[in-house]
Amino acid sequence: MKAFTFVRPTTVEEAAKAAAEKGSVIKAGGIDLLDRMKERVDQPDRVVWLGDLPNHGVGMSDPGGMGVGPDSALVIGARTTLAQLAEDAQVRVLFPALAESAALAASPQIRARATVGGNLMQQTRCGYFRHRSFPCFKRGDETCPVLSDGAVQDTAAIFGNRPCASAHASSLAPVLCAADATIFVANPIGKQSEWRLVDVYAPPRRGVASDIDLGDGNLIVSVFVPRARKSVQSHPVRAVYEEIRQKAAFDWALVSACVRLDMDGDKVKDAGVWLGAVAPTPWHAEAAEKALVGKSLTDDVIRAAAEAAVTGATPLPGNSYKVDLVKVVVRRALERLRAMK
Amino acid sequence: MTRKITFKTGYPGAEKDVTVEIHDQDATPWGLGAKLRSVGTDVPRLEGIAKATGAARYSFDINRPRMAFAKALRCWRGHAKVVSIDLSAAEKLPGVLAATVLKKPGERVTYSGEMVAAVCAESEEALDDALAAIEVKYEALPVAATTDEAMRPGAPQPDPRNANVFAEKPQTRGDVEKAFAEADAIVEAEFRTQVQTHSALEPHGCVIEPNGDGGFTVWASTQSTQGFQNSIANALGVKPNQVRVIAEHIGGGFGAKFGADDWDRVTARYAKDLDRPVKQLLDRRAEHLVAGNRPDSIQRLKLGGKKDGSITAFAGEVFGSAGNGRGGAGATNVRVYRYPNLNMVQSSVSTFAGQGRAFRAPGHPQGVFAAEGMIDLLAEKLGIDALEMRLKNDPHPLRQIQWKIGAERIGWKANRRATPGSDTGPVKRGVGCAAAIWYQKGNGNFVVNVHVDRAGHVTVQNAVQDIGTGIRTVLAVLVAEELGIDAEKVDVQIGDTNFPAGPGSGGSTTTPSIGPAAREAGLRAREGLVAALAADWASPAEEIALKDGVFVGPGDKKATFAQACSRLGPEGLSVTGQRRPNYDGFHGDTAGCQFAQVAVDVETGVVRVEKVVAVHDAGRIVDALTARSQVNGGVIQGVSYALYEDRQLDRATGDMVNPTFDTYRIAGMNDCPEIDVVLTSIESGFNNAGLMGLGEPATVPTAGAVANAVANAIGARVYELPITPARVLAALNARGNVK
Repeated sequence: MKAFTFVRPTTVEEAAKAAAEKGSVIKAGGIDLLDRMKERVDQPDRVVWLGDLPNHGVGMSDPGGMGVGPDSALVIGARTTLAQLAEDAQVRVLFPALAESAALAASPQIRARATVGGNLMQQTRCGYFRHRSFPCFKRGDETCPVLSDGAVQDTAAIFGNRPCASAHASSLAPVLCAADATIFVANPIGKQSEWRLVDVYAPPRRGVASDIDLGDGNLIVSVFVPRARKSVQSHPVRAVYEEIRQKAAFDWALVSACVRLDMDGDKVKDAGVWLGAVAPTPWHAEAAEKALVGKSLTDDVIRAAAEAAVTGATPLPGNSYKVDLVKVVVRRALERLRAMK
Repeated sequence: MTRKITFKTGYPGAEKDVTVEIHDQDATPWGLGAKLRSVGTDVPRLEGIAKATGAARYSFDINRPRMAFAKALRCWRGHAKVVSIDLSAAEKLPGVLAATVLKKPGERVTYSGEMVAAVCAESEEALDDALAAIEVKYEALPVAATTDEAMRPGAPQPDPRNANVFAEKPQTRGDVEKAFAEADAIVEAEFRTQVQTHSALEPHGCVIEPNGDGGFTVWASTQSTQGFQNSIANALGVKPNQVRVIAEHIGGGFGAKFGADDWDRVTARYAKDLDRPVKQLLDRRAEHLVAGNRPDSIQRLKLGGKKDGSITAFAGEVFGSAGNGRGGAGATNVRVYRYPNLNMVQSSVSTFAGQGRAFRAPGHPQGVFAAEGMIDLLAEKLGIDALEMRLKNDPHPLRQIQWKIGAERIGWKANRRATPGSDTGPVKRGVGCAAAIWYQKGNGNFVVNVHVDRAGHVTVQNAVQDIGTGIRTVLAVLVAEELGIDAEKVDVQIGDTNFPAGPGSGGSTTTPSIGPAAREAGLRAREGLVAALAADWASPAEEIALKDGVFVGPGDKKATFAQACSRLGPEGLSVTGQRRPNYDGFHGDTAGCQFAQVAVDVETGVVRVEKVVAVHDAGRIVDALTARSQVNGGVIQGVSYALYEDRQLDRATGDMVNPTFDTYRIAGMNDCPEIDVVLTSIESGFNNAGLMGLGEPATVPTAGAVANAVANAIGARVYELPITPARVLAALNARGNVK
């Protein structure tokens, strides 16, 4: 990797300022970043390490300023590791899908190091993007080689895959999107703002590697999961995470899905269906949601929602099987949700 | 001088008396049924704790004072012409000691990863910057990266002088056409296997240090200290005896690490020119692309048989590529069973890709995957149980026994689905089986040193290297057996060419090649101790015997091993044992078979191997623990080959898309099945300890057994490895929905 200056801020403000400087990149766990730097896909001048910053950890919000109460929701510090998230008792009760997705990611060693913020900010695992010897739209080339004849396409995107067919790798992203999570972002002038996570994902742009558009110097401080509220503990929002992967040990999902349902009696009042590893960003399966709202979870409704989930799919010659897998994960997620009492 | 002996070989139920002439100095074979003290027991790997705690030093761990680092700049394209190459920017960078052009303008590269330049620098960081600063302009040339593409008329050729398709000598027997005409059933199918890379955890390479006296010390990751010594001496322009190669621990080889490679010659040149230690070990991407692989295969096969299940004819054509060279591919699909009429035509295809190398049973896993699939297909067509079909056509007396052991342990009768794919629910189970074969008895004139001192320390020395197989422990066990002591008491010094030459660790020959010499050396040491006691006790040596670890002489005289050693002179006892020529034995082929049980999710196509029963013969088992470990490793590597591993090349550029371990899938902990290892230890004869090879056969049948189990589970066959979710779903779709 190229030589760089290692910057160690001790406050969020310092970190944001340092990150705003040209040529800076933020390092939390560094799992993804170091891989990219070793391949010189990223060649930053400055690496701003967040390791000396205080981390929020996992806790409950305090909306009324009166301490944790019925309206308190889950707040996750951005530097919480995937291992901590997977094992956290509150997460497992209030939003088990999140703990499940964290527990399935990568390997135990990586989960002990990788952070929630890093998982959201990670870049695609597309082998063409990761090696500079290949052309790549995200690295500034005109076209995406994955779309060409003779390309290896098995793990590529099946939705929104033009002009770039990279697949989004985050396990947490579909869950947090389905949960309507917001992120608290610090900026270099000392302000924090709250953004909906689903709004920060940007479709591939030529020469832009990141799938998230935070703006220079903005860094994720924490993630807020409003649907995981103490008050709903007796009627928790139902959400499940499903993924299909080739290996049982350390592997990337071929497809993943998080399905969230807010029920009104036996009818679906509101639904969130988000897919992972099938598009350059987390993929919103809106047609599947529409197929669910106002309905009871009968076999027919579940089947129709699973079919609707692949609406608009544009698979490549080498990955049409992923269309079938999407239907399976959505159906299985719904069947699990139905079985929850 | 020789003596004639007769002894019993084989396995209970498959026995054979052999009469052989053996060398006077050689130890007498133990024979079938011998009760031995250490041999055949579970002896923990001598270096196990050092490896588990990180104390063991691999060549990768070696760092020397004043050491510099070398690395090659590689072209990541299958076919290109160098237009220009400019080192000047790299040479100016701080810490750069030397930079070298390896491909001049106008020269071609014909595989991704081929070296075009090299740099030597003070640090790895300076090295990396220098490599990035080298300016190379290429003219992209058309690529044929796969076997299919290289076979097309007009395909570009790595070597313009030779056609891409190179026909090997066909294997023929009898009259195939007539036999097919008379067959009751014929099956035809095309099977395909992928390119698998060796993926040893320790990469290729070495550290080379000039000694100041014209000689060099080399720490190499190698399967042959001897071979590496010769080839690196050649590169350095010195005599082999001026080069000492050390390989104390090796992080795997699997067939890809024998002599010095072109990058090692670069290291040697810098070490010599700069007169300082230089280190170069490959990175993972280069490992995948330039350091060997198991060639792919396309096997178009036709098998015919009679109603009674006997196979009458086998024919086919096989294509595969061992990269940009000529020859070297091939699938060994005609061994194991009786094929009275045979016509197998094999061709190697040149492609723009890194060359294949010997890989744990070269040709066999791919050949067995296809051949065993054909056996199942024919059995199905004839309406015969797949196991019965094998028993009918298998000529090996020991494998006949092993099939029954394996079938019992996997629960063949209960678990083999009479109607494949008939389980209810999305997860369907099935079992399948396949056979292993190997044929190595070892050879050579290797010598093992044994030294015993007055305090009772026993040291064994040979240059042989332990690539993870357990040979260090095997040598200790064989010497300990002769001395009546525990193997843990024996110090084994290996992996150093300052010791007597040892065999390369290849072909599953290490134990049978060096083990008999260790046994003989142990015997010599025992005789030396008996002679010392004879002098001390004034008793005839022939009246002193070693019983249960105690030397017993006339008049109830007794001496423990320590007491016997104390009778030695201050120089202790130095003896040698030699590997004698092979003689007759039980059977030239070792036998083995494996049974797999799989669970397949027919909605997702995901396959999990739940259990593998592995029944293997390797002659007499010396250390049952490390032997089982070898089989475990073979099964895991076989499962990985069956389900996951795949060197994926982009066909436009010939470069690898998954050259990292997070994208080149290899079986991890959670992917490993329960492995039930049964070692049918036999007296094989051939040498004084009855030893044969085990490392390779252990991985031969796994993929075949897994593929047959998948077919039994889902009622559809996947004809191509790896058996991915996409291929399982495609096979089910082709067959119609089985749900």
